[in-house]
Amino acid sequence: MLPTASLDRRTLLRASTLLGAGAALPSSLLAGAMAPLRPDRKTKRVVLVAFAGGVRTRETFGTPANVPNMRQMADEGVLYTNVATSNLGHFGATMSIFTGISEPRGIRENARGNDPTLFEYLRKGLDLPKQDVWVTTTGGAQQVNYSYSLHPEYGARYGANILDGDGIFNKEFKDMLSAWGMPQPVEPGERALLDRLRRGVGGGEDAAREAEQLARVEDYILGELSRGTTDISGAAAGDRKALRLARNLLSLFKPRMLGVVLQNADVAHGSFNAYSEVVRQNDAAIGELMTAIREDEELRDSTAVLVVPEFGRDRDLNSRRGLDHGDGSEDLRRVSCVAWGPDFKRGVETGRDQRVIDVVGTVCELFGAEAPLAKGGRLQGLYA
Amino acid sequence: MSTEAIPLPFQDGQDPRTRAAAARALDPRSLRAVFMDLIGRPPRQSEVGEWLGRGRGELLDELLGGEEFWGHWWHEQLYYFLLIDNFRPRTRAAKEVPERLAQGRLHYRDALHQAALTPTFDLRNPGADTFVTVVMEQFCGLVVQDKASELEIGKVAYEGGKGRFLGTTAENQADVIRICVEHREASRHFLAREHQRLLRVELDSKQLRADAGRLHRDPWAYLAVVREWLLSEAYDQRLRDLVPKSNTLFVRCLFVDLLDRLPEDDELEPLRNALDGLADSRPLRSVVVRLLLDSGRAAVPRKQDIPDPTRWVAAQFPRFLGRDATDEELGVFVSAFHEEGCEPGTILYALLSHSEYQSY
Repeated sequence: MLPTASLDRRTLLRASTLLGAGAALPSSLLAGAMAPLRPDRKTKRVVLVAFAGGVRTRETFGTPANVPNMRQMADEGVLYTNVATSNLGHFGATMSIFTGISEPRGIRENARGNDPTLFEYLRKGLDLPKQDVWVTTTGGAQQVNYSYSLHPEYGARYGANILDGDGIFNKEFKDMLSAWGMPQPVEPGERALLDRLRRGVGGGEDAAREAEQLARVEDYILGELSRGTTDISGAAAGDRKALRLARNLLSLFKPRMLGVVLQNADVAHGSFNAYSEVVRQNDAAIGELMTAIREDEELRDSTAVLVVPEFGRDRDLNSRRGLDHGDGSEDLRRVSCVAWGPDFKRGVETGRDQRVIDVVGTVCELFGAEAPLAKGGRLQGLYA
Repeated sequence: MSTEAIPLPFQDGQDPRTRAAAARALDPRSLRAVFMDLIGRPPRQSEVGEWLGRGRGELLDELLGGEEFWGHWWHEQLYYFLLIDNFRPRTRAAKEVPERLAQGRLHYRDALHQAALTPTFDLRNPGADTFVTVVMEQFCGLVVQDKASELEIGKVAYEGGKGRFLGTTAENQADVIRICVEHREASRHFLAREHQRLLRVELDSKQLRADAGRLHRDPWAYLAVVREWLLSEAYDQRLRDLVPKSNTLFVRCLFVDLLDRLPEDDELEPLRNALDGLADSRPLRSVVVRLLLDSGRAAVPRKQDIPDPTRWVAAQFPRFLGRDATDEELGVFVSAFHEEGCEPGTILYALLSHSEYQSY
């Protein structure tokens, strides 16, 4: 097993409390010494932000005032301005970022795909534990399907932990917990008794070990509910929760792989102005994530961040002064992708042909893993 | 002819006549499963006593087509269309759909049509491209990328133009919906997903063709088709295999099992949304179990009020898991029960947060 963060529940609770108080967490408290997975690389962790919901380059790098933080990332990394996408609907197109395969999926389809995801490639290929691969989302039930595929050689046993910020950390759920009485973490004595009882209902030691892992996530969620994530509201609230969770998870678990899936830009159907505001708010939240990385001595020189939309939007406004996605224009089919990290070139902007499905191969290569079923290539000209 | 029962000349338990077991007799597990599949909740304690040992066919006669059946069905359809939370239809007509289905004033296809006509369906699927794509995909099961020209015609019709969409003339958004709802492929797609929902396996293509043809000609045949499925060997097999509970079903089960009532919408939705927010919702399901157990609203007896712990523990297994405890399980649980610090709630928490309770 590769060296990785390993937390017992008591440490996790202590760390959660510190995080809630806004304290900087000493790296040594939370993560064991973690080496790069490839000796010729400095990168130990990757954050992949799927800036989904349909985002044109015009409102991002075409309007630098909207995205000062992503602009700074581009200045310190590599900006790909000619990345091809397919209009497969939000669900299918975002799925393609994680599978490296462009395949049609129903817009409202709520089922897992057949092609393995990046997370499965990494967990299987590198023997990563589940706590090392996380995804935060904002799109509700549909997006938890990104966790793993139905592929017989991959699947649930190599899946990522997924947290949907808007689903869990919403006011209605918190209000209900408050009204019914917020459950307290289980005391150690009761936990031991429960472990014994669960072991007694079939499953044996494996069931008990799994229960311990689940209990850690349970404690994390209870801790997160007491922090400010639930209180985020207003424009792009769902996306900002996903990014806030990502920031907290990165500080707490320091996972090898952290995916973030945004969605709120799709308000563009009804309002261009609301969409522009989502772009600005999300850039600000990405800026907070970047600040957390830059200020953490363990993360700053070992973390790579990639941001890529799943597709753009139409060239022209619709009758509601909004922007749909279906005209087949270059604005829809070409997006920009920024890559920032210790192994990457700095201040490079390139218009070479790339595809969003190249991201899977790129991340796998960065870690020294294979993505044998992905159909994309690599982001070219990336490494310093 | 009088229907009054004639007193039999036998004492209780001494009737020497042969009694045939009911066909597909309901045991605790299959009873729970049929209730959950058809009306989205386990049986209440009173219903367990009423139905154990009776035939599955009788239970189908009781449950199929009732308002609770249609209420659950409607809820599942809205979830399929992701018409949930802010997009849940709140019009009076939408709320009355289960009642009207139960009264035979609507058939299933009318109800699906009504779902697509709700304002929230339009809000959920904004813009011509998204809207037409979704109705083609969700009603007819079409891969829109393979039907690009139909999509373009549908988009023109959505905007008020005229065109021949999926073989029928369309000139507005309502036409696009109606054509998809009434399309032959819609009957096939609906039955395929209903079979998957109820039996958890694909219906074989020959049977699907036959059932879909029948349903397309006569939408009132839906209940008869479902009845046949639930009395088939395929459903016998499904009952032998445990299948995972959806998050909605988990919450509804927990409320009925612990509180003897279903959750209200404003209780169900935040819990389900939270659970849907995790790829593996088990950690949060545990939190929800504790929420209910610790709330003081669940009828959990005090330890000192349980005169026979072995009997009490043994009764919890069929109640929640639909099966008897093994001797070994009973030994572990009863031994734990007698320990200081173990309360009845601890026993219930261990069972309800166990992976076996996550399935049925």
